[in-house]
Amino acid sequence: MTQIEPEGSRVDWEGALVRRACGGDVRAFERLYREHVGRVYGLCLRMTRDPAMAEDCTQETFINAWKALARFETRSSLATWLHRIAVNVALAKRRRVSFVESSTDDEDEAIESDWTLETPLEVNEIEAAIEGLPEGARDVLVLNAIYGYSHGEAAQMLGVAEGTCKAQLHRARSLLRKKLGVEVR
Amino acid sequence: MVSANDKGERKVSSLRDLPRDVQPPRDLWSGIEAHIAADRRATDGAPDERRAVAPGRSSRVRWIAAAAVVAALAVGMWIGRSLLPTTGLRTGLGGDSGTSARVSTGAGAPEVLQAAYVTDPKYRRQREALVKSLEAQLAALPPDSRAKVIASLATIHKSMQDLQAALGRDPSNALLQELLVNTYQDEMRVLTVVHEASDAGKGI
Repeated sequence: MTQIEPEGSRVDWEGALVRRACGGDVRAFERLYREHVGRVYGLCLRMTRDPAMAEDCTQETFINAWKALARFETRSSLATWLHRIAVNVALAKRRRVSFVESSTDDEDEAIESDWTLETPLEVNEIEAAIEGLPEGARDVLVLNAIYGYSHGEAAQMLGVAEGTCKAQLHRARSLLRKKLGVEVR
Repeated sequence: MVSANDKGERKVSSLRDLPRDVQPPRDLWSGIEAHIAADRRATDGAPDERRAVAPGRSSRVRWIAAAAVVAALAVGMWIGRSLLPTTGLRTGLGGDSGTSARVSTGAGAPEVLQAAYVTDPKYRRQREALVKSLEAQLAALPPDSRAKVIASLATIHKSMQDLQAALGRDPSNALLQELLVNTYQDEMRVLTVVHEASDAGKGI
């Protein structure tokens, strides 16, 4: 008979759920939702600064993900894929409610930072400072500093040039330094 | 670095230490599920010319659907009754599909975890017969159909292995149990389709 050996011994629990969800299994998709909703909502909240809008974005992200699940390649990260969808949804929603801030291409300074603070600060204080940043700067800061995406990945997600992304990060760091009153390296 | 002061407020020394997960204040799943269900209803409820031509058929279709639901429920209850009490016990799949997996329980002791569903003699006989004739039937299929079948079975076997391993760590997880049984049913469905297609001398 034709023997088909399962590949490897690593448990791809998420992959199994994705395959079930692709086949129309809503409960498998719910399991994926429960696994990822925190990261998706966290990103949406930081991008929109509005809990109600972040909830809408999160729901829309998972609805879009359900519709597009067949196109998801299981070799890549589901978290990253969901984040891409969430960024698109958040940007589109923001465009609907306000005029998008134009990007600044005047600075193209390469920034490599681990976003270390000179003095430890309270989480709430930092979150408030990030919330007060202009949209463009906040978006790249959230993706790069908090969620760990590279300049290139963040630029691709946001649909901007990598140079713009770097410039916005530079701007974000300067503004954050002023708001927090400590050095951000 | 993360630390907490006397008031329990968290302090961090890098933006990278900020929490990535933020749970929404309410459960958003019900809204998502409702949207998915509405989408499905919209797809299922697309205008059907056949219904307009033969309105009498709709009640027959409803009866058939109701009968199918009752049958599915009966099978589900049978599977549930036979699966739940045996979870985590040593049983055997048998056969030679490579899907019988040794998995480790949370305590680290390796066990073979299987559902009673797959130890049912009738199921095993039927499956063994289908597996036995699979190679010959695959050879009779057109190349693209054969590739589809092989890919489907590979996916199913991978899912089985993943689910069995996950159940080894979390044996009482009802969702995992259900998914595993569904996967066995999927395998049976593929084997049956191949068998029927081969008998009818057509592709898939």
